[in-house]
Amino acid sequence: MKTLSSFAKKALIGAVIASGLAGAVQAQEKYPSRPIEIVVSFGPGGGADAMGRKLSQLLEPVLKVPLPVSNISGASGNAGLTKLVTNPADGYTVATLIALSVSSWAAGLGTAKPDDFTIVAITQNSPSMLFVPMDSPFKTFKDLLNHAKANPGAVKVATSGYGTQDDITLMYFNSQGYKLTNVPFAKPAERYASPLGKHTDAIYEEPGDVAQFLTGKQLRPLVVFDDERHASFPDVPNSKELGFSISDLPNFRTVAVPSKTPKDRVDILAAAINKVMETPEWKKFCAETYSCVTKRYAPAEAGAYVKEFYVATQNHLKAMKK
Amino acid sequence: MEAFSLLFTGLATVLQPSHFMMIVIGLAVGVIAGALPGISFVNAMAMALPFTYMMSPLDSMSFLGGIYVGGVFGGSISAILINIPGTPASLPACWDGYPMTKQGKSGRALTIAIAASATGGIFSALMLTFAAPPFAKFALRFDQPEFFAATFLGLVSIIAVAKSAPWISFLSLFIGLAIGTIGVDPLYGIPRLTFGVNDAQSGINFVVVMIGLFALGEVVEMLAKSEAVAKIQGKIRFERPKFVEMWALRWSVMRGTAIGSVIGMIPGAGATVGAVIAYGVEKQASPRGAEFGTGVPDGLTAPEAAKNATTGAAMIPLLTLGIPGSAATAIMMAALVLKGVTPGPMLFSMQTDLVYSIFASMLLANILMIIAGVVIARGFSHFMRVPPAILSGFIVVLSVLGAYGVRNNIFDVYVCMVFGVIGYLMKRYNFPAAPLILGVILGPLAERYFLTSLANYDNNLAIFVQRPISGTILGMSVAFIIWATLPSLIKKYRQRKAGVVA
Repeated sequence: MKTLSSFAKKALIGAVIASGLAGAVQAQEKYPSRPIEIVVSFGPGGGADAMGRKLSQLLEPVLKVPLPVSNISGASGNAGLTKLVTNPADGYTVATLIALSVSSWAAGLGTAKPDDFTIVAITQNSPSMLFVPMDSPFKTFKDLLNHAKANPGAVKVATSGYGTQDDITLMYFNSQGYKLTNVPFAKPAERYASPLGKHTDAIYEEPGDVAQFLTGKQLRPLVVFDDERHASFPDVPNSKELGFSISDLPNFRTVAVPSKTPKDRVDILAAAINKVMETPEWKKFCAETYSCVTKRYAPAEAGAYVKEFYVATQNHLKAMKK
Repeated sequence: MEAFSLLFTGLATVLQPSHFMMIVIGLAVGVIAGALPGISFVNAMAMALPFTYMMSPLDSMSFLGGIYVGGVFGGSISAILINIPGTPASLPACWDGYPMTKQGKSGRALTIAIAASATGGIFSALMLTFAAPPFAKFALRFDQPEFFAATFLGLVSIIAVAKSAPWISFLSLFIGLAIGTIGVDPLYGIPRLTFGVNDAQSGINFVVVMIGLFALGEVVEMLAKSEAVAKIQGKIRFERPKFVEMWALRWSVMRGTAIGSVIGMIPGAGATVGAVIAYGVEKQASPRGAEFGTGVPDGLTAPEAAKNATTGAAMIPLLTLGIPGSAATAIMMAALVLKGVTPGPMLFSMQTDLVYSIFASMLLANILMIIAGVVIARGFSHFMRVPPAILSGFIVVLSVLGAYGVRNNIFDVYVCMVFGVIGYLMKRYNFPAAPLILGVILGPLAERYFLTSLANYDNNLAIFVQRPISGTILGMSVAFIIWATLPSLIKKYRQRKAGVVA
């Protein structure tokens, strides 16, 4: 009996000490103190994957913890984002959130809304462009439009699907009297092969995703859908100078956490990402993918930017349905 | 011949111990991952990608190429020994390979599989080396209608699998096609058959269905009977392939290699479609076609040669045009791009040495695969002798891991479990499972190609027969259907006539 009670006493003391220690640790836990998972919301090999892996590599020396990448693909990136919001909002899971996923919400896919996420940083951004094969008869964007006006529907453009930014842009030109045919391809590789094989006349894409075809001199750009010319393509006219107003659908990539994540942790992550974006390695990476972001957005501004895009897409889709 | 000298320089480079080791390690990883039910070579390559960060571009390609080549073959080891395809492309190896095992000829089946796979792989590596640019040009002429026709031929090939019951096979195929439509439609973004389940929006992944139907289904069957594995208890002897015997299979190897080399270049299709079509064509072409499914070497040879012939062919559009047509080649491209190497036409002129070294490493990987295949298959055959209870426990763990690993999604594990039960019931009631899985694999491809074709050609349905290549392939498909169903229709007609007369 005596041994038991002494054991109980010791156990009790032990438990008190242990809980006290645990409390102390919790109160002043340093963030980050364990690995941070980067959920890439698309499969290996794509643009979001390249960004996630580059961030993982460059953030590790800054945050002093490993950042393993896991690819969770499906449903326009929504499968990975679902995983993000169902994980604890403690800053130990971050995900790539890109324009395509936001426009899919606007189109009614999934249950996510911009308010479910805090945007830590806008890491890459690029306007879309229209490319034609190197030996295409269309020398300028005007050539292509004139042909489309004379032969409605004859100009075929490879896109990523219906109801996407690609589709919205083509619908816009349709409304301006230039009927372009949307040829949707679900898989990027098939989309790129199509204009190269002359099965379609042009392709709507951001320059970073077709970089290999630009260095390979297989595709050339005709127009950039933006209000300014692209710094990497100073000779390519923008849509505004040609008299078209379709510039509010950029392809941005961001890093996001669930909206309930503590603000101090979001700030630590944002500071680390901003630091990475100043490194020569990152600058080389974003230059190669034509997606450098010159402005540094604070999380609140980044969130507003994404929301603005969401509303713009919604409005375009509503206008199309009429 | 400039290509020859470049290839020999490349071979000299990859024979240096450090490069050579990368190929060997890659092959070993690939064959083992491929042979383990549930873990596919795509999983293995995705897991290997971070390891390539610190390698040179050539080493990373040797390593990933080794996994690719080894993994595409490896799946056949478990297909032949325990009737569980390690990767989807090894499904046809179950149909004539496993019956050989049941007859006590597993050593012979493995020998044939290794020899055929290596031949197909070596041929396609040579094609990659000497004819990549013209073949790339040829591949670009294929458009969506041709892809649709090839996929349709793959779907029709299930009739070759159906032995006596074409109608039940059709039913199974259509169930598979329906499962394939679950999820968000690829072009319009409309959710279909999701019943409000959010996870179902990403679709039902075919690898998960395959692991459930074949691996888990087989395990339940194994435990229910507890004698399935007993058949290979005897010592497996690896016969040295007799030249005469292999020579007799030369036409099957050639047909399989030719089909694999063409299908491999089509983006999206790849090893599984190549192997299935090769099996279907072989059944029509081989003099022993009627006996297929009972352990005929021809029926094992052709799909084995075809699936490994897709490996070199798939790298043609990747290296010459910068178009990765499959998950495996997309991972290779990611590895190259991370190194600042851009695949495409410029690569040939700018970094000729690297290109030919990659060709040489693919060639070498296919040759070394013979050794890796024999050693690892022998190891596996020992492993298969553990008691069924332990073996099945092991397979269940791997299946769950594999199902989870496809997309890191726990929902896939539940789907896999459900299909495990379905797979067992199908086996129990002799309902063919192979057409179902082909429906799940090929249905979404066919749908995508079909819709894009229509969008590109003014919604003209006739386009599929108007274009010469797609018209020819579709003609072949129709001939397949008639060939398979006519005998039973004639029989019915005669019976009815006889009934009327009587």
